[in-house]
Amino acid sequence: MNSEILEKIKEECRKLPDDISYIVGFVRKRGEPREVLKVLKPDEVDRMSFSPLSFNNPARIVMDLMKSDGKIAVIAKGCDARALKQLEKEEKIERERLYIIGVSCPGVIDYRKFRNAVKFRLPEIESVELVGDEVIVKANGEEQRIPFSEVIFENCLYCEQPTPKDYDVLIGEPREGKLDFSDIEEFEKLDREERWSYWMEVFSKCIRCHACRQVCPLCYCEECLVDPSNLAVSPMTPAEEKAAYPRVLGKTVNASDNMVYHLIRVLHHAGRCAGCGECERACPMELPLLKLERKLKKVVYEVFNYSPDEEIPFLSKLDILPEG
Amino acid sequence: MKVYEGNFLKDVVAKLLDDGYRVYAPVKEKNYHVFKVVENADEVDFDYINTRRSPKDVTFPENEVLMKYGEWVEEIPAQADKTAIVGIRPCDIQGLRLMDRVFLEDITDPYYEAKRKNLLVVGYACNEAGDYCFCTSVGLSPFKSDYADIIVTELGDKQVVEIRSEKGEAVASKFDLSDASDEDVSRKKELEQKVLSSFVRSVNTENLKERMAEAFNSDYWKEVAENCVSCGICTYLCPTCFCFDIFDDGELKGVRIRAWDSCQFPLHTLESSSHNPRREKWQRLRNRFYDKFYYMLVRKGEFYCVGCGRCIAACPVGIDIAEVINNIPSGV
Repeated sequence: MNSEILEKIKEECRKLPDDISYIVGFVRKRGEPREVLKVLKPDEVDRMSFSPLSFNNPARIVMDLMKSDGKIAVIAKGCDARALKQLEKEEKIERERLYIIGVSCPGVIDYRKFRNAVKFRLPEIESVELVGDEVIVKANGEEQRIPFSEVIFENCLYCEQPTPKDYDVLIGEPREGKLDFSDIEEFEKLDREERWSYWMEVFSKCIRCHACRQVCPLCYCEECLVDPSNLAVSPMTPAEEKAAYPRVLGKTVNASDNMVYHLIRVLHHAGRCAGCGECERACPMELPLLKLERKLKKVVYEVFNYSPDEEIPFLSKLDILPEG
Repeated sequence: MKVYEGNFLKDVVAKLLDDGYRVYAPVKEKNYHVFKVVENADEVDFDYINTRRSPKDVTFPENEVLMKYGEWVEEIPAQADKTAIVGIRPCDIQGLRLMDRVFLEDITDPYYEAKRKNLLVVGYACNEAGDYCFCTSVGLSPFKSDYADIIVTELGDKQVVEIRSEKGEAVASKFDLSDASDEDVSRKKELEQKVLSSFVRSVNTENLKERMAEAFNSDYWKEVAENCVSCGICTYLCPTCFCFDIFDDGELKGVRIRAWDSCQFPLHTLESSSHNPRREKWQRLRNRFYDKFYYMLVRKGEFYCVGCGRCIAACPVGIDIAEVINNIPSGV
């Protein structure tokens, strides 16, 4: 039950080492049952909350906080810890400045599905508890039971690592994950034309708000090659030089340009994607972006026999010549 | 006040299509509705609280070609076909009005003007407030709009049709409308009461101008922006965000395009000198709230937020414009 998990999280946060300056955790949003990420001071533990609606990935905020001084404690689900690990491998995070409170995760709720399934108005909802395989929603002295399978975030069904691999303290019993590409295998059965028309239809809906890129903890490039005026300009940069800067993609929004954007983005995640699903969750047009990430992951796994859990980054591993 | 026995909205879509209009109407995608150009009245689905995207792209498309160039320059004339939008909610009609004030007052934008002049607006009064709706807080009504050409209220077995302009009259006259009975009028009133009582969210606008003027330098904005990811969802879904960028696509031969831009993107304010007046994300996020509730209030005399709640519903990190405004600290 998540209220028990929350108590344990608070307990761990109260006995954190003295040199911790911040806790990156969840607090409940006002007027809604979901949690939002928050940077808390160690004396603000009472504000913390945790439920299957604590779906955001804290890795991005942790990376931002690394710019300031002090140590950071973070509440991390399996995929969150994986994102942190990846950022550590890429030297964006100093592990020794991080205290990971790992939470063994049964999966998170898809908030869109939840909003459709729940019979209460959002501000009325007092609590959301996952008990066994049921989500119990309480409001106005009533309760509604929703099967977890009806509202679970689909990506969690294929979770390889529900329990963080790297943590300082772990809350909850470890859970087994599995490597499962059955959804991708199913999709691969479609022929080329069917897949093409599927993706063109999907990409025609993209509005290029770039939320998928912005929420992704691994899309941290300060300058992205799809931005209209990329590469640094300074007062000394002559006009001819600025004009000669390559521009891969402007702000043209149509199915094929949108496709180029998404493919470039996904390819940069080869062997890196933590599988947290923030991109798909953020997409206001509900594009199935994880299908791309998972297909790539499958290729990386099958062709290069690489798993994101390896200590060495994927591209570095490619540089190592096999013996003989 | 007139009534139509049947589904006026759907029948008006069919009629307008017959008459050669380009018709935007709500279409159900997998899990949400959007306004799309339809070819057949059967594609349309009016069972929605509001559309995921605002319909601002009807008059202000995300991409608009202004010029073609190559060995010679070809200007694209500002012109538009007869167009109608059917089923637009009162908040979005206010969005359209506010956009008109940006693109047609003072300096007239010919591309916008051509589309707007040729646009017929058939509104659709709300039967229910969504969990994120707060239009009543910004001075709007969920079932009234004087700015539409026609506004329709659903009564279940029939629809109340209110005609608000000559343009609307010309279309409505093609339908068999009868005068509303006393019963229809009282049923409509009842429904309106029900709608008003279904609001669960509000924004405190009391002394807001003063409160915002006072809080500009507060650290509050840093806290609000703590988990902002600087994406463009809030601005792209917003019915009143009008910022755009103009760029040339193609070196020796190409097109000059106007495209939506967002004040949340760092490049939006990056100057050629490399100076960026809104370098930090909290400055950019603060700008959005000040734009909606302060700058435009000063410039145009009204809020540039219509209370549709789209930005709240879609924000990936849970930033909530209503909460942000309500919690502005005082005395800083």
